[in-house]
Amino acid sequence: MPKCEECRKFFSLEEDPKKGDCVQRVVDPRQAYYKAKPVTAEKDAAKCESFEKK
Amino acid sequence: MAEPAQVSLKELEKKQEWWWIAERKRSKRLDYLRKAVWKKGALGGNYAPGIKVDLELPTLFTQAWDFWRFDPIMLRRAKTNSNVLDNITIFITDHAQIMGYMGSAPHTITWRLDGASMVNEELYNEPGIMPEPQEESLKKIAEFNAYWGGQTAIDKLARVLDPEDAVKFLSGAIGWGAPTSAYGYSGKNYEYFMTGKRGFEDIIAEIDASIEKAEDRTIGLPGPDILPLYDRIQNWIAMKTALQASIRWAKRFARLARIIAENFETDPKRKKELLRIAETCERVPAKPPRNLQESLQYDHFIQILARFEAHEGAWPSRPDYYHGPYYDKDVNVEKSITKEEALDLVGEFMIRAYEVGGFAPRWAREGLQGITGTWVWTLGGVKQDGSDACNDLTIAFLQAARLVRVANPTFAFRWHPKVKDEVMREIFECIRHGLGYPSMRNDPILINNAMHWHGHPLEEARTWVHQACMSPNPTTKHGFQPMRMASATANCAKIVEYALHNGYDYVVNMQMGPKTGDARKFTDFEQLFRAWVRQMEWIFSLLVRTVNLGRYKDPEFFGRPFLSGISERAVESGLDAVSYVGERGNCWITAFTYVENADALAAVKKLVFDDKKYTMDQLITALEANWDGYEEMRLDFVRNAPKWGNDDDYVDNIMIRCLEECARFSKEIKCPCGNNWPILPENVSGNIHYANIVGALPNGRRLGDALYDGGVSPGPGLDKNGPTAVLKSCGKIDHIGHGRAFLLNQRLSPSQLAGEKGYQLWRAYMKTWADLGNDHVQFNMVSDATLRAAQKDPEKFSEVIVRVAGYSAHFVDISRKTQDNIIQRTVQGI
Repeated sequence: MPKCEECRKFFSLEEDPKKGDCVQRVVDPRQAYYKAKPVTAEKDAAKCESFEKK
Repeated sequence: MAEPAQVSLKELEKKQEWWWIAERKRSKRLDYLRKAVWKKGALGGNYAPGIKVDLELPTLFTQAWDFWRFDPIMLRRAKTNSNVLDNITIFITDHAQIMGYMGSAPHTITWRLDGASMVNEELYNEPGIMPEPQEESLKKIAEFNAYWGGQTAIDKLARVLDPEDAVKFLSGAIGWGAPTSAYGYSGKNYEYFMTGKRGFEDIIAEIDASIEKAEDRTIGLPGPDILPLYDRIQNWIAMKTALQASIRWAKRFARLARIIAENFETDPKRKKELLRIAETCERVPAKPPRNLQESLQYDHFIQILARFEAHEGAWPSRPDYYHGPYYDKDVNVEKSITKEEALDLVGEFMIRAYEVGGFAPRWAREGLQGITGTWVWTLGGVKQDGSDACNDLTIAFLQAARLVRVANPTFAFRWHPKVKDEVMREIFECIRHGLGYPSMRNDPILINNAMHWHGHPLEEARTWVHQACMSPNPTTKHGFQPMRMASATANCAKIVEYALHNGYDYVVNMQMGPKTGDARKFTDFEQLFRAWVRQMEWIFSLLVRTVNLGRYKDPEFFGRPFLSGISERAVESGLDAVSYVGERGNCWITAFTYVENADALAAVKKLVFDDKKYTMDQLITALEANWDGYEEMRLDFVRNAPKWGNDDDYVDNIMIRCLEECARFSKEIKCPCGNNWPILPENVSGNIHYANIVGALPNGRRLGDALYDGGVSPGPGLDKNGPTAVLKSCGKIDHIGHGRAFLLNQRLSPSQLAGEKGYQLWRAYMKTWADLGNDHVQFNMVSDATLRAAQKDPEKFSEVIVRVAGYSAHFVDISRKTQDNIIQRTVQGI
């Protein structure tokens, strides 16, 4: 079962490596941007469509 | 139309196609960011394709709200908002330098689900805005609505409102808005947090000191003085919690900017920018700003954070005044950035406000077509010592506006006799480029007005900014009004309608106002006028009662920890900022559809009582029939009755008499602070929204016809004696003593005002305007030909902007009826 911490898009917090951000690139019809969503390192990523193994 | 790339700038200027010129002149960054915006303002009444309601925020909010259910309301909201700020998805758009949005993606509108159940139900039924998969979204929204039903701010207030008042208010016939700070216009205490002396960490230190002092007292000698402190300590903790969460949220942007710079970005220039963004977001709002970017970012963060807490309908601001010293330091003194780089920051600062949007019920969307709130930013004016406050940043904002051409925010300029010609030229350029802004405000008049109505001391009055479209609101500790609830907005055409129909409303089929007598039996004008006065008093009283109660109960029913945390009064006292305690009071009644009263009363006086051409019985019969079958008579009332705006004392005196009655009554009705409720005639696009709600009137208007625009603007096409006559009519109003402010729309001819000669003509017009003591004027300067072409080919003219009322909008975003109403306005040759 893959976990978020195994993903290339996961960036852990220096002060607490068990937590971090899922950072993704998005290109919508008007603009391109990077987004960040807090996640835990241990979170199950099995159903995540954007999971990319490190 | 030729492809713009093939057309020279000179030719585009000749054709007044300013939007193409803007595209060519602005930097690549501004061009990208301007085009990147997802427009949140409703088109007519509907959201644009692709706009979706954000469900991440309501999910995070509801989960935490339920979890913290045992906390007092302000603390509960602070902890709940912290959960949102700590966990909501944030984003950084390519090329952007200023951060912060309330939704989890650029195309989302936010949903204030703790405000009113009826708004929540409307959202559930709103087509097109549900995120995919729709079925899942609808299920989620239904669950939220079930949870929030009965516990929103308005649900709570409805339980204590007088039932008759509630039913009449909710009929939608006499007013709009919601008496809660969940939706409203929060004034900001800029003098407290935006003077370069305080960041949030400094405020937290002030709060800690107050908590410590209060806790010492609560373990001291028992007595009644200790008792309020228990609640206040909880409030202080709430403010501190809100400020701490805000600092953490800003630092999340700093972290994301660093991650992008270190892991994804390959362009060294952008990398450097991202690291500067990181440094900026680590600095503010925690600490006071040191440069222009930090100052603009600080201000923007504060506005966005306030929108995480409530649906803010306005954006009171004075950016040139508060950020000007940083512009001067960076550009002129230290030369750390160029003028062009500063212009990029200023332009983006406007774009960031333009992209802000939240879900609004249909009546609000129809009343504010094309925009999501009245973001009217104040420029110019005087400093507290009375000297000219204009600076280089004033000019930069006026130049940036012509480059980014957003419809929201707009500017309102505080004109005074010491404003330099170079600034006036920049203002004129904005008007000439068809932006519809800045609107012009007469600073000396309005400072006196603020002192007259609300007792602001001179230095305090001089700090004023627009709290919404029009109303001056100081930014000081005691002078600022933390919350204006829009429900003291009166549909004033109903006053004369009810006076003619014994208080009965034939549109909503209800006895609304008091029974002031069967108008068929009135034998002279004075009887009608007395009925008018009583109906006016009744409408104003009902609306003001409702808002007063809303203000009084808001700290108990809603609670504003963040707003309190940036308000000196609240930080000092430990009371919710919305509490009226310590406030001087700065209320006003927005008087929509006002001018119809003068024209309608004048028509009855002239054709019924003076000329005796018709009887009251005939008139009431014709009105009840909506003039159907009485067209000849109707045209007589349109053409042969005197009309406001022509310097005709017959009707102008009636207008003044009505205003005098309103001014008298404004001093009898009081706000929770015990201060006055002056009226402020203006309209946004309420004149279209109310078209199907106001019945036939004696000025010849039928149910369904658009009402007059503006607050003292003459009816479209009815001002036949030229612009000076309009100014003279408006100049008969006492702009200090009759009310809070008076909105005047004017259309000017772009071809007449071309070039230097045009500028000089406009300056002469403005001199007359000021000499006559008018307080407001705003201009549309787009030709009929362009507007007609835009109606035929909206895609090609999608960037044409018009002044609607107290705001501007892209012409293609407003309904056909509003478009026609603007075209019908008289083009004044000056």
